[in-house]
Amino acid sequence: MSLLDARGVARSFGSRVALEPTDVSLAAGEVVALVGPNGAGKSTLLAILAGSLEPTEGTVERPKRVGWVPQRAAHYGRLTALENLRLFAALEGVPAARAAELAAEFDLPPDTRASSLSVGNRQRLDVALSLLASPQVLLLDEPTSSLDPAQRERVWRIARDVAAGGGAVLVATHHWEELAGLADRTLELVEGRLA
Amino acid sequence: MRSSWLVLQKDLRTLGRTPALLVVLVAYPVLIAALLGLVAGYANAKPRVALVDEDGLPAHIVVGHHTFNVTATIKEVSRNVTLVRLGKDEAQRQLADGKIVAVLTVPPGFVATLQQMTKSPTLDVAVTRGGTSGRVRQQVQALVYTLNQKLQRAYIDANLQYVQLLLHGGDGKFLGESFNVIGLDGTKKVLDTLPQSERVKRIQRFVHDARLALAQTGDALHATASPIQLVELPQRGRTASLSAQVQSYALGLTITFLSLVLAAGALAGERDENVLGRLARGLVPSGRLVAAKIALAGIVATVLGLGVAFAFAAVIVIGNAPGGEPWSRLPLLAAGLALTGAALGAVGSLVGALAREARTASLVAVLLVLPIVFLGLIPPEVFAAAGWVSDGLPFAHGVRLFSATLYDLHPWGAVAREAAWLVGLGALFSLLARSAVRPFRP
Repeated sequence: MSLLDARGVARSFGSRVALEPTDVSLAAGEVVALVGPNGAGKSTLLAILAGSLEPTEGTVERPKRVGWVPQRAAHYGRLTALENLRLFAALEGVPAARAAELAAEFDLPPDTRASSLSVGNRQRLDVALSLLASPQVLLLDEPTSSLDPAQRERVWRIARDVAAGGGAVLVATHHWEELAGLADRTLELVEGRLA
Repeated sequence: MRSSWLVLQKDLRTLGRTPALLVVLVAYPVLIAALLGLVAGYANAKPRVALVDEDGLPAHIVVGHHTFNVTATIKEVSRNVTLVRLGKDEAQRQLADGKIVAVLTVPPGFVATLQQMTKSPTLDVAVTRGGTSGRVRQQVQALVYTLNQKLQRAYIDANLQYVQLLLHGGDGKFLGESFNVIGLDGTKKVLDTLPQSERVKRIQRFVHDARLALAQTGDALHATASPIQLVELPQRGRTASLSAQVQSYALGLTITFLSLVLAAGALAGERDENVLGRLARGLVPSGRLVAAKIALAGIVATVLGLGVAFAFAAVIVIGNAPGGEPWSRLPLLAAGLALTGAALGAVGSLVGALAREARTASLVAVLLVLPIVFLGLIPPEVFAAAGWVSDGLPFAHGVRLFSATLYDLHPWGAVAREAAWLVGLGALFSLLARSAVRPFRP
């Protein structure tokens, strides 16, 4: 069963074409790796699939609950990790208890402002934010680039759990070898086009 | 609107955690207002005028029966200028350099002509060229006017001496010549001793009429010298430093700075934090995001604007300055502050939406504040185009709203008109800001 379907999605920024018309489909229970060099259009594709960026052409059908971890930290630096989680929980209509639960699960310091956290902790906060609404589809953009091996393993475990629960996961990464035992299939993006 | 409220709460919490920013946001406009006050004070300062004495003015001059102490008289009549005694060449050099704005020359023979009282002596004036020349000319004219007023009394008193001589008779002096006159009183006495014929009676009637008429000469001379007299009434209302205008502009400047910078920085900050992408996923549509920033500007403008108003009101009470309604209009002022702050917040949001990052947005907002304020300060009758542009921005409407709110006896007409302008402008700029919010770019 397909959880997410993107048909002919493309995106240009001015005269620069970031993504050629592309079809992507994610089925329930699968983990898909999206690989490609820098500037290939991976982040653009994930942002379009997440609903953060409107495609200049094409359509996306997605479930209501989609989790997204952008490549660059995306939370409020002057709020603590817990305050960030609570704010986005409120915006997503998720009980505040879920925010506290994720803060504890990811060992996030409760009283430290996000801007004072280490790069790794900020990445963990973004992963935690993506899980607030218990997503059916999880889109991860280089989610482990700043994490230590134990934390990486935690992210992959989460990905496996989402897929095992009937969800789908799409992971954009440079480190394909990390996903060798995890990904069910691999998509390769080169110069805005699926190879 | 719940999403706007949540973003607003976040912004207020963030602002509370950056007290240094808050202090700067309040202190900066107050500093600018103080500097503008100093500049305005300088513009009203006494201009330096050179006094070149080519006649060798003595320490005292006698005009009629009045003795004038020259130094004291000069000090008394030069209230609006600072007179400095200079030589002719030095005065010309300083006038050319701009160190003085005018040269007032007392030509040779001035005192002699003055004392003869048969024709008016002249003073020569040279005024600097440029924008201030009109004002300087007025100041020098005011100085000569005040001097003339003082001399006028001496001239009238001298003339009245002659009238008294005509009335009562006695010894007199004119142009150095001494004389003795019988006077109308003496004439009457002589006529009374003569045989009463019709001719003598006619002369007696003339003497009688002439005595009555000359008795009124004093008032007639004063009236001729000053057909209209200006009587300064005791002053009521606020002192100049606390005038309605000053308070309205201080409030306007403060919240223009606050609202513009805050809204611009807050909206652009969403992009800096890379959160725009998260919010754009249906959590907070761009219209609601702009609404949150406008509300933030409105709230902060209200709180800090009321703080400024309370400070003014406290000064009025402590200083026992009369006039105005410092306390009772504060609720209406709060509404005006919120509305003006929100309208300015919409302008700030547009700046924040167009800028790529918070620092750029804040800088552009800061740079915009002064032109917006100065456009609002230019009277439309001086430069009509400035008035039209200013009408298209919230500052001038806010100032007029504050002024009407605080001090108009019947403020509702002005308040309704300016509030309508602010609502309209706020809506226009918020729509522009909403459409200018750039999409998230990974």
